Amino acid sequence: MGASIQEQILQYANILTDNVQKQDPTTIGILVAILVVLLTIVLLVCRGKSNKRSGVLVLGICESGKTLLYTRLVHQNYTDTFTSIASNSGSYQVQGKNKSLRIIDVPGHERLRQTMLNQYKSLARGIIFMVDSSTLQKEIKDVADFLYTALSDSVISYNIPPVLIACNKQDLLTSKGAEVIRSQLEKEMNTLRVTRSASLQQIESSGNNNTFLGKRNKDFSFDDLKPMKVDFVECSLKGKNAESKPEMKDLEDWLIKIA
Amino acid sequence: MLDFFTIFSKGGIVLWCFQGTSQLFTPAVNSLIKTVILQERTGNNAFTHEALQLKYKLDNEFELVFVVAYQKILQLSYIDKFLTDIQMEFRNKYKDCLTDGLACGTFNFKGSFDEILRFNEEESRAIAKSQKKMKTFDESLKSKKTVSSMIENKKEEKKPAKGKENKPVKEQVVKETLKKTEQTAAVLGEMDELTIQKNREKMFAKMSGKKPVKTASASPKAETPKKKGKQATKWEMGGTNKDAVSLDYSSLNGSGDATINGSMEEKHGTPSAEEQRWVGQMKGGLRDLDEDESEDEEVEEEKGVQESVKSGKSKKSSGMFSMFKNLVGSKTLTREDLQPALEKMKEHIIGKNVAADISVKLCDSVAAKLEGKVLGTFSTTANTVKQTLQDSCVNILEPKRRIDILRDAMECKQKGRPYVVTFCGVNGVGKSTNLAKICFWLIENGFRVLIAACDTFRAGAVEQLRTHTRKLNALHPPDKNGQHMVQLYEKGYGKDAAGIAMESINYARDCHIDVVLVDTAGRMQDNEPLMRALSKLIKVNQPDLVLFVGEALVGNEAVDQLTKFNQALADHSNMTNPRLIDGIVLTKFDTIDDKVGAAISMTYTTGQPIVFVGTGQTYTDLRNLNVKAVVNALLK
Repeated sequence: MGASIQEQILQYANILTDNVQKQDPTTIGILVAILVVLLTIVLLVCRGKSNKRSGVLVLGICESGKTLLYTRLVHQNYTDTFTSIASNSGSYQVQGKNKSLRIIDVPGHERLRQTMLNQYKSLARGIIFMVDSSTLQKEIKDVADFLYTALSDSVISYNIPPVLIACNKQDLLTSKGAEVIRSQLEKEMNTLRVTRSASLQQIESSGNNNTFLGKRNKDFSFDDLKPMKVDFVECSLKGKNAESKPEMKDLEDWLIKIA
Repeated sequence: MLDFFTIFSKGGIVLWCFQGTSQLFTPAVNSLIKTVILQERTGNNAFTHEALQLKYKLDNEFELVFVVAYQKILQLSYIDKFLTDIQMEFRNKYKDCLTDGLACGTFNFKGSFDEILRFNEEESRAIAKSQKKMKTFDESLKSKKTVSSMIENKKEEKKPAKGKENKPVKEQVVKETLKKTEQTAAVLGEMDELTIQKNREKMFAKMSGKKPVKTASASPKAETPKKKGKQATKWEMGGTNKDAVSLDYSSLNGSGDATINGSMEEKHGTPSAEEQRWVGQMKGGLRDLDEDESEDEEVEEEKGVQESVKSGKSKKSSGMFSMFKNLVGSKTLTREDLQPALEKMKEHIIGKNVAADISVKLCDSVAAKLEGKVLGTFSTTANTVKQTLQDSCVNILEPKRRIDILRDAMECKQKGRPYVVTFCGVNGVGKSTNLAKICFWLIENGFRVLIAACDTFRAGAVEQLRTHTRKLNALHPPDKNGQHMVQLYEKGYGKDAAGIAMESINYARDCHIDVVLVDTAGRMQDNEPLMRALSKLIKVNQPDLVLFVGEALVGNEAVDQLTKFNQALADHSNMTNPRLIDGIVLTKFDTIDDKVGAAISMTYTTGQPIVFVGTGQTYTDLRNLNVKAVVNALLK
């Protein structure tokens, strides 16, 4: 019985090789089809495996220190920076763990950030939101506006990455502490969710697509964003002196936590 | 002689820099990036910031930017060549480094930089000295150049000319078809109205989520040109004037309106049931959506989430293809490669009603962005150009600053002063109508509004606003204190508009009214006395927001209107920092279907965002701009 099956297979193989040698179009066609199917399956499997969100998005408005954070983490050095036109992305080796995160520096300019955010938001494993602590008073509206946009984004609120609000430039004398910044942002976000939900509908879409953050009938608080976790840390990427090391221990700890 | 030279990546990381003086250059470079590169004005490579002249060059292959700065009184002729030389040298020297993704931090470029600079300076000096000697050679070079440049110029001149012809050609086609069907020229105007009507129907259908009602009664007369003409699809279901009337949303819905027209005064106290339904529609948070509608939304949102999650996946797979890309090889784009695709794109966007010179600039900017870029094997030139143009259009339309009028108005309220918005624009674009719509929106969100009737010129302007005020007050009953939600400040005709505006703002402050909407008279941009008056109004009152109202139907004229309005505001103000236009209201958006070019023209000209879009006749037909939808319609 076993032998006959073997024979049969051999027979088929012979027919197959014959046909291929004769360049019979049907056989070649079938073979190609099988190959394509196999390749597709392999590709699909690979794609499924590689779908791990491993990016850390660095968001924030212009001149809050996003690109510097990127160079500090990825290249471990200090550089001068200008307004970014394109995004930077590079891998960061997490301290003490054999893992790496992809740091994505998203340009902060209003014209670019929405497009870039849309491009990268599905990759976010975590989000670092940079705030310039020294000029917060002036820029609070813009900061809160972008933060609200980012937090209420449909993809981000679906994936729920942890969020770290990094209060940068603590080396400057005029900078505010993390607690003050937190309360000011909460207050601003409270007003913002009123004006946001009252904003006009967009053309060619039904309803205004702004989700309401926090709990209704209660002042906005970052604690109410559960299950999204929002942390605040203070840091100084430039360091106290020109040549000194950056003060970003808390930030690195957070990165270790999410890796 | 150079003050400053820097090389940085498009990501904003400085790779190398040379500083001739101790001045701080970061603001200058940042403003170069913000006002030139991010505004899609990369066709021209020079920029002046205070006393500095900045020139830059983009390297698209390695994503680098080279910027050089010098005092603008110096006329340095060698800068362009110098930039090119530096670029070549830097690329050659650090090719491996750059392909590795800027991993190596320090670039020791000082030596080569000095050498190239010295070489270039000496060369230019030599040329300056030996100009007489070199004359014959110089002449021949010049003659060569002029011939070639003339040829190029011809080509370039053709482009805009073609663009301008674009419309007349279409009209000719229409005319011809009309001739064939033996219709009079007068019908042409009618047809235009019909397309507008039809577009309005489409818009209405889109917004209400219903499918457009097809009328079977389309008369055969109108259908005959449809088959022959190029523009045939335009009239597919527009039918004739009669059908349009039966389809007209405004008359359909406003059975109450019709009666109001008859007996205006009586009807004002009692708004029709239809109108009452609008109340609360624009209120935030409390709005009740139809159940199935909201379900749809959820489904859509869910889809959106999944799609973007998917897109994340597909990005990964494209990353896998990049492996093949390296195997198969790639080519570098040159301007010659780009030219045909750009030409085609330009024709296309001009066809979509983008002003001709704007589309030329836009295409130049795209060319500058793409030149030298390495093209993957799996992408064609046409696709790359389209993609880049799409990105550029998104960049242009995306506001460069935060727009949240409610937030700003709230802040003013806290400070105890009114938030003042001035509307200006040419005649008949819908200033008063959209003012009323915005007023309705503000009232719905709990602000008390004062309308200042500063159109003291056109007959009936004040009465029009009075009618709106009555109607709005009828829709929104007075608040607890018995104060009207909206009031009109009027002083009749023939008075000084700036004075009325000033008085109205003072009145609003005294009465604790939150927002003042100042309606001005429509004026043509060439009418100097009127422009002077507008400038005075804005200078004297310093409103929080100056909105330019422009209709979406406008084509090449949009640029002219906006530049002249801005110019007038700047010229007549006698101030160092004059108030210019802060935002744009795009009206009659329901009449244009996919010819959305005006949005691009206007935002490109001013760099200011489109704050509101007017999409119909009722108070609720006010929208925000959806950048994605507009760009898709533009490049469809």
